[in-house]
Amino acid sequence: MNLNRRHFLSTAAGGFAGLALTDLLARDGMIGVLHHPPRAKRVVQLFMGGAASHVDLFDYKPQLEKEHGKQWDPGEEVELFQSSPGASAKSYWDFKPRGACGKPLSDIVAPLGDVADDMAFIHNLVGQTGVHSQGTLLQTTGFNRPGFPSAGSWVSYALGSVNDNLPAFVVLPDHRGLASNGVKNWSSMFLPAESQGTIIRPGDKTPINDLFPPEESKFITKQADKDGLALLNKLNSQHALERLGDSRLQARIHSYELAARMQLSATEALQVDKEPQYIKDLYGLAPEGRGVNDSEINIKAETEFFGRKCLVTRRLLERGVRFVQVWSGNENGFPRRNWDSHEDITRDHGPLASGMATGAAALIKDLKQRGMLDDTLILWTTEFGRMPCAQRGTGRDHNPFVFTNWLCGGGIKGGVTHGESDEWGFKPADRHNPTQVYDIHATIMHLLGIDHERLTVRHNSIDRRLTDVHGHVIKEILA
Amino acid sequence: MKKLSLILLLTLLASVDRGVAADEGRKPNDWWSLQPIRTPAIPTHKANWIRNEVDAFILAKLNDKSLAPTSPADPRTLIRRLSYNLTGLPPSPAEIHAFIAESKTDADSAYERLVDRLLSSPHYGEHWARFWLDAARYGESHGYDKDKARFNAWPYRDYVIRSFNDDKPYARFVQEQVAGDALWPGDPDGVIALGFVAAGPWDFIAHFEVGEGKLDGRIAKHMDRDDMVAAVFNTFMSATVQCAQCHDHKFDPVSMQDYYRLHAVFSAVDRADRVYDLDPAIVKKRQSLEAKISKLTTEQRTLDQGVEKAGGAQLAKLRTGIQSLEKGDRLKLKTVPEHGYHSQITSRPDDVKWVQLELPTATEIHEIRLIGSHDNYADIGAGFGFPIRFRVEVSTDSKFATDVTLVADHTKIDFINPGVTPVSLDANAAKGKFIRVTATRLAERKNDYMLALAELQVLDANGINVAPGGTISAKDSIEAPTRWGRKNLTDGKFATGGDPKAMAELAALKAELQKLMAKLETSDIRSRRDQITASLGESRKEHKALPAGKLVYAIGANFKRFGKVIPTAGKPREIRHLHRGDMRSPGDKMQPGAPALWGGTAPKFQLASPDSDAERRIALARYLTAQDNPLIWRSIVNRVWLGHMGRGIVDTPNDFGRMGGTPTHPELLDWLAAWFRDDVGQSLKSLHRLIAMSATYRQASTHHEAHSKTDGSNTFYWRMNRRKLRAEEMRDTVLVVAGKLDRKMGGPSYRDFKFKDDHTPKFWYHLHDPNDPATHRRSIYRFIARSQTHPFMTTLDCADPSQMVPRRDETTTALQALALMNNPFMAAMSEHFAARLPDSQDPVGETIQIALGRTPTKNEQTLITSYAKTHGWPAACRLIYNLNEFAYLD
Repeated sequence: MNLNRRHFLSTAAGGFAGLALTDLLARDGMIGVLHHPPRAKRVVQLFMGGAASHVDLFDYKPQLEKEHGKQWDPGEEVELFQSSPGASAKSYWDFKPRGACGKPLSDIVAPLGDVADDMAFIHNLVGQTGVHSQGTLLQTTGFNRPGFPSAGSWVSYALGSVNDNLPAFVVLPDHRGLASNGVKNWSSMFLPAESQGTIIRPGDKTPINDLFPPEESKFITKQADKDGLALLNKLNSQHALERLGDSRLQARIHSYELAARMQLSATEALQVDKEPQYIKDLYGLAPEGRGVNDSEINIKAETEFFGRKCLVTRRLLERGVRFVQVWSGNENGFPRRNWDSHEDITRDHGPLASGMATGAAALIKDLKQRGMLDDTLILWTTEFGRMPCAQRGTGRDHNPFVFTNWLCGGGIKGGVTHGESDEWGFKPADRHNPTQVYDIHATIMHLLGIDHERLTVRHNSIDRRLTDVHGHVIKEILA
Repeated sequence: MKKLSLILLLTLLASVDRGVAADEGRKPNDWWSLQPIRTPAIPTHKANWIRNEVDAFILAKLNDKSLAPTSPADPRTLIRRLSYNLTGLPPSPAEIHAFIAESKTDADSAYERLVDRLLSSPHYGEHWARFWLDAARYGESHGYDKDKARFNAWPYRDYVIRSFNDDKPYARFVQEQVAGDALWPGDPDGVIALGFVAAGPWDFIAHFEVGEGKLDGRIAKHMDRDDMVAAVFNTFMSATVQCAQCHDHKFDPVSMQDYYRLHAVFSAVDRADRVYDLDPAIVKKRQSLEAKISKLTTEQRTLDQGVEKAGGAQLAKLRTGIQSLEKGDRLKLKTVPEHGYHSQITSRPDDVKWVQLELPTATEIHEIRLIGSHDNYADIGAGFGFPIRFRVEVSTDSKFATDVTLVADHTKIDFINPGVTPVSLDANAAKGKFIRVTATRLAERKNDYMLALAELQVLDANGINVAPGGTISAKDSIEAPTRWGRKNLTDGKFATGGDPKAMAELAALKAELQKLMAKLETSDIRSRRDQITASLGESRKEHKALPAGKLVYAIGANFKRFGKVIPTAGKPREIRHLHRGDMRSPGDKMQPGAPALWGGTAPKFQLASPDSDAERRIALARYLTAQDNPLIWRSIVNRVWLGHMGRGIVDTPNDFGRMGGTPTHPELLDWLAAWFRDDVGQSLKSLHRLIAMSATYRQASTHHEAHSKTDGSNTFYWRMNRRKLRAEEMRDTVLVVAGKLDRKMGGPSYRDFKFKDDHTPKFWYHLHDPNDPATHRRSIYRFIARSQTHPFMTTLDCADPSQMVPRRDETTTALQALALMNNPFMAAMSEHFAARLPDSQDPVGETIQIALGRTPTKNEQTLITSYAKTHGWPAACRLIYNLNEFAYLD
């Protein structure tokens, strides 16, 4: 079956009567029948903004220990984003085998060792350019330029939401700022607006834009809202009664009822304080919450920030949210609260990786103990990797030539590694068979019960899909 | 009959196209949109219903389908529909009542007058510009990473509004936006219109910071041209060419060659702030100053020539001597790309700068050598940046606070620039780990100052240079590899050569020249020269003080260089056919051209000067606006139809290719296209008028059970379509109803966010005060940021500026309900709306009149009065804003 919704709308509804209702009904998803039985129902995308170093976290390179400090020479010309290649630089942290599978992981991500047997690593991801904006868009939308829907939009477009009272696709940005491209990383572009990512800022006074009236507008009371909803309903129903045959009018009346319910559901979903202490400890939450001291980048603050987002993620998933995108790292400025460590890997990657590992490991364990890991897919990604050689002694420049992703949960085989990088972590070991973002996206779609080649939307003459004209399901990491 | 003629047509076309199709694997031109525009016969009917040609075609189709038009809409509905569709604003209650009254006596002439009044309103251009800017992917920041603001994009927005209000012929409108600067030099609109090509997103980092010297920068340039080419074809031609980037278009007759020929058309231009002048007085003043400067410069040259002549052979000999030394082999240097270390630039010569070397271990130092660098910048050459006064010290303390040995002190007297001859300093076995060179008086570069050195050598007791093992730090530095960088200071690379004897000879000759010149220049000459110098200085100052010209963000080949974006000055970049669209697999060099989509066009442009940027773009502009271009005229009439009727005759306004839609009313489309092109001078206002005057347009939007069974989506217009207000119409109406709309036209965009020009600029919408009157202008004047789209407007289905939006989505979501109830703007306007009703005798009557232009029903009277009594009028007004009737137009 061809899931060409735009085409369906333009012929059957023509953008008029019927369209609005289909929008609300779209919560049930465009795919009435999945292409094949799914292994996962929901997705979490953990995104490290600024480009996290694979060789310091997940991709162990003994060769760099041997060559450490000597001029790095891969035997070919290397054009770097900012610098020219310096000395080979070993990981800033020691690697040790973790889990029953014995996967070597660095000390800075040690908490993930507990769940290493659930994770599948891919070390031969390749990007297209070393430019942050393009790399970020490529990982979030499958295209390295603006204009394409986020993977989260495709998933919520296809599957809809389980819960009418919450958005299907939620984004938890780093509260210190948005990464490269800002909201483009979760825009729906040519998919219906309903499938765009809704920003939730846990801990903010207004966690969702316009969820509640502005505080300074004293004339809006709870009772005024309640009575108002009833009055609107009456007046709008009378208006609709005089205009039969237009389902949009009914849909709009319904949207106000949904909005009122969302106020309650969203508030409840974000009440992290109701969690027991052992759960808060598992995620590494600080008693000060958002107010934790962040004047110098430090492990406690990074753990609180990322851990809280992971805990909120679990609560959202429990309540039927389809896709959650969690960000670590703001735009690539200074002082660094992002992974773009040109100057000092230890200073930035240390706290960020430590906080990420605590939060991600807690999320995996917590989902597992609730029986939700079986049908929740987690993807860890970043725009590209960092070079095996040093930049200015203590930093690393961009490496779009190879980097790491890992997946975990619904339908993923744990404790495996698929695709190696070369001896330095500079390029794929097998340069002719790298893994690309299309393959990752195809695999996610596959696990959700969707054939990535058959979920298309016609836009400007092209039947667009998340994976462009590429993508192969990575069978080797499927359980 | 029909079948036969189609086959005949296909055969004919196939033979015409064979030449092109054979060599490039293009698909044949056998698709409806590529057939010549016909002028179909207007169907004849006896029905009174018909008011103009539009209706004749519509009724023919309705009859075909056994459907019938519905009754005309009532006057209130008509004036609301017309006001929104032509100006994007609601009619005032007074206008509604006047129109209803006039319609009672002569409905037809009242309606006609209304159409004409609205078409001549300046708000017409504001409303229709929004459709165009949606399609043109117009935004006011770059998008991507570091989403820098484009503070000079708005003149293009005003240009579109002005062009629509002036009813500029469409061909001219199109040509200006592709090649206005080349076709109408001197006309400001010719430059401003080029904002169209530049309107889309642009990767600041890849262009400004990486640049074309690197592969990533060249990829960005390629993507940049792709955006330009796609925008031109999708918008003007309703044709997609961008899929031919990696392979020949799978469905339409566009080959990869065609696609890369289009790249060649735009290969000389970049997106940048371009100068234009709207004030002729300034243009005149600039021209007169430039003439004066030129005259004075000539006189100066004449004086110089007089002196040269008076100097005769003696002067000539001196000059030749100097020149032959300077250019001769004895002073010839072997330069290196690694120039050395370079401090930051400063405006003061007495800014103290230092650079120092840290040795791996403390060492007994016997000799220190400084070697000057060589850079031809500002014609300086050897000794570039060598300090005029400096000292050299050795210490065991990195801060040079204690244990400092002074090795050389040249801080009292100017040091003669040594060129690239090494300056050897006796260190007298000073022991230390750190060697610091401190400049106390800096060398001049070009009206600014800096410290530069090619090499620092440190010789130990054995005469071995130990510097290369050390690390360099400095007070500041410029890191611009390969040329400049701290590490260059000990890389063993520096310019060499230059005979010291020859240098001494050169100095002597220069001294002699100076003496002779003093004799030759009489006091008359000197005083005149001084006058000229003074006058030139003044004129140049005045010239510089003139408004630099206004700026518009557009495409161009001449602009002020910024970062690594270097203007081509009109010289096209080389464009290669790229295998699979990959920059790493270049193929043949491509010449400018455009796909041969209709008979008589060749895929390559025939140009008098093939390397002229202007000619390339002029050729494209003429191609686009050719009389027999089958696409462009159909494309624009379809867009206008869509704007009125809610759906195009072709449902895919940006794509008339095989993957797009087909026309529901092909004869009407062709008739409109031909009529628009030939009969009304390509006047868009005439087209609006024709559509608005039709009976089709004047129908009510009421439901008809039987018709809806045959044609549920109203494809054939058996009624008018009810539509929702667009985001801008909604916001503007809220302002009108609150009594707050500022109708000021044009100029820089209002910003309803707090702006911080950070590493990545911040657009904080949540910090905006909705009561700030500066932001109460029409939404067309909103500042449109890409990385941070407007939360309120985006929720209301506003176009995303990072893609071409030929048609807005119309969705209904819970988030929209939340936005219209709770957004601070809505709350603030509810209070302003309520403030319009103090001591009103009939507040419900008044609110409904203001918001909806009618009298309330009894039921509404009761319900709203009771609600307002309990919760107050601001709360009641907030509800009125949320009525379905407020959001929908019948």
